[in-house]
Amino acid sequence: MNVLIIEDEKSLALEIAGFLGKEGFMIDHAWKKSSASEKIFVNSYDFILLDLGLPDGNGFDLLHQLKNLPGREDGVIILTARNAVDDRIKGLEEGADDYLAKPFSLSELLARMHAITRRKHKLEKNEVNIHGLTLDIRNRTVIFNNERINLTKKEYEIFNYLVLNKNRVISRMNLTEHVWGDILEINSDSNFVDVHVKNLRKKLANLIPIDWFETVRSIGYRINI
Amino acid sequence: MKLQLKLALYNTITKIAIIAVLAFFILIFMNSISVNHIQQRLIDKKNKLVSNLSDMEINDLLTHQKTFTDYNILKEEYIILKQAENVDTLGKKESFSQEEREIEGNTQEYQILTEKFVFEDRKYQLEIGETMAAVEQLEHTILYFTLFILIVSVGLSLIADFAFTRFLLAPFYRIIDQKLNKVDDPMHYDYEPVKTSTQDFRELDASINSLMAKIADIFLIEKQFIANVSHELLTPISILNTRLENLLNDEQLSREGENKLFASLKTLNRLKAIINSLLLISRVENNQFSKTDEISIIKMITEVHEELEDRLTDMNLSFGMNLSEDFIFTGNKSLIHILLMNLINNAIKYNRQQGSIQISGKKNDEQFELIISDTGLGMKTEEIEKAFSRFEKLQSEKKDSYGLGLAIVRSIAAFHQIKIDIKSDIDKGTRVHLYFSL
Repeated sequence: MNVLIIEDEKSLALEIAGFLGKEGFMIDHAWKKSSASEKIFVNSYDFILLDLGLPDGNGFDLLHQLKNLPGREDGVIILTARNAVDDRIKGLEEGADDYLAKPFSLSELLARMHAITRRKHKLEKNEVNIHGLTLDIRNRTVIFNNERINLTKKEYEIFNYLVLNKNRVISRMNLTEHVWGDILEINSDSNFVDVHVKNLRKKLANLIPIDWFETVRSIGYRINI
Repeated sequence: MKLQLKLALYNTITKIAIIAVLAFFILIFMNSISVNHIQQRLIDKKNKLVSNLSDMEINDLLTHQKTFTDYNILKEEYIILKQAENVDTLGKKESFSQEEREIEGNTQEYQILTEKFVFEDRKYQLEIGETMAAVEQLEHTILYFTLFILIVSVGLSLIADFAFTRFLLAPFYRIIDQKLNKVDDPMHYDYEPVKTSTQDFRELDASINSLMAKIADIFLIEKQFIANVSHELLTPISILNTRLENLLNDEQLSREGENKLFASLKTLNRLKAIINSLLLISRVENNQFSKTDEISIIKMITEVHEELEDRLTDMNLSFGMNLSEDFIFTGNKSLIHILLMNLINNAIKYNRQQGSIQISGKKNDEQFELIISDTGLGMKTEEIEKAFSRFEKLQSEKKDSYGLGLAIVRSIAAFHQIKIDIKSDIDKGTRVHLYFSL
């Protein structure tokens, strides 16, 4: 899958590119509106990560331009530091698929991109196997020996997020923000997520050994696959 | 008291005063004129009487000893002649007095001329009286007339003044209403001058307009500043955040390095949370949010409750919502969500295990009152005042708080014209009262 990163802040663009590159994405860059406009016109992308504040113009124009091209299915995620509610609404109205306020976590970005892929392309493979468990993304369930494991909505969210970001330590903070959203002060007592992880681990441990579900002391969690 | 009423009242009172003073002087003046006239007449009569005096007439008067009143039924005048024995009083020729006299069984107030004179070596005392009834009647008539004029003129002038000041002050009230009361956002201010021929009001209107233009300028600059700050601060944080995250994925990273990177990410997250909170407060105070959503309090609290349910169960708190009727108002949904979220989250955070949170509501003619009460640690009175300040952390507060939660609550409440009142008892709990005006 190929991604176009339209971002004038080069170091940020390069960090995103490095991360997505490891995840197997093909990366293309545009630093300015003019060059981005050209690239959008010439190539079609699976994802366009769009910064709204570009040195030579507004990102909304690019979005508009893209939406006027026939037959394009590029998934657009707006990345912006403006974080104004109006921008968010306008962006989604103009046809962006998602909106991430800076600063965002790369694992969150990845989760959003996966969600868009599933939505847009009706992903052929909607099930992920993890050590004998089956994560059914479409039905939002986890199955073991053809039987549904009874997980709460939040437990499923946590499991899904950790699986999506497999082999990577996900901090409590990051996990909290993913599950509960960006609710300012609420995030402050981030060890709250532990209760849910504890319950989740208990439920899974009843079925199979879960040595692959690591607790990284004082940081967070990791699922190794 | 309204200016219009004050002006009308002032006009009325001055009119009453002027008429009353005038009436008072007229009465005094008139009284002295009529007394003067009567006295003059009495003197004329006396002179006539004395010059025509004869023995016979004196005898007649003396023997009959009756008043000279045959011809007047109303007893308007009388003449009495007596023989005077006292010689001493002879020095004083004539004197006037106002006294009551009974003439043929009829008591009246008379202006009386008394004179002692000598006629054919005998001393006499002559008394001629003329009634004051006519003067008193006139006085009464004038008094009633004045009173009548007074009441009519007060009534008329009140109506006229009211109508006129109403007309005169209409532009003034229009200016106050349109340019001050109804303006809560200087960005959407109407600079169209209010029509008036009164120069003072025109000046007032113009100065409010120019003041508002200045405020709008400041708002715009602040808005720009907020946008710039958020971009300029959040972008570097974003770079650092992604860079640290990428570093963490390095498999050669030592355990210690991993911990340090996570600690840095946490610090960065704190920085982000603080900036976002401050930006939120600034945006709210800068009126950058619309207030057009229809909000149902019950729906909102139910939503917040669902989101916080796991926290409630974690602390074994009971949650009760006791709202007899829903309250629906227009405001900003996401802001009200943040407000309730912060307050209810506080009620959970500072509660005790197995405690409870009760939400109740009351509605009267003027306002809707929402009460969130918990069974938590409580605060001291001086702590309550501090709690709303930015970065003010209370001793009882948990370490991971930034001390901005209630500052956010306060700015959102002010934006929606919601009054907040906190009552708290140490170790018993805190009650947050929110008053929504209808």
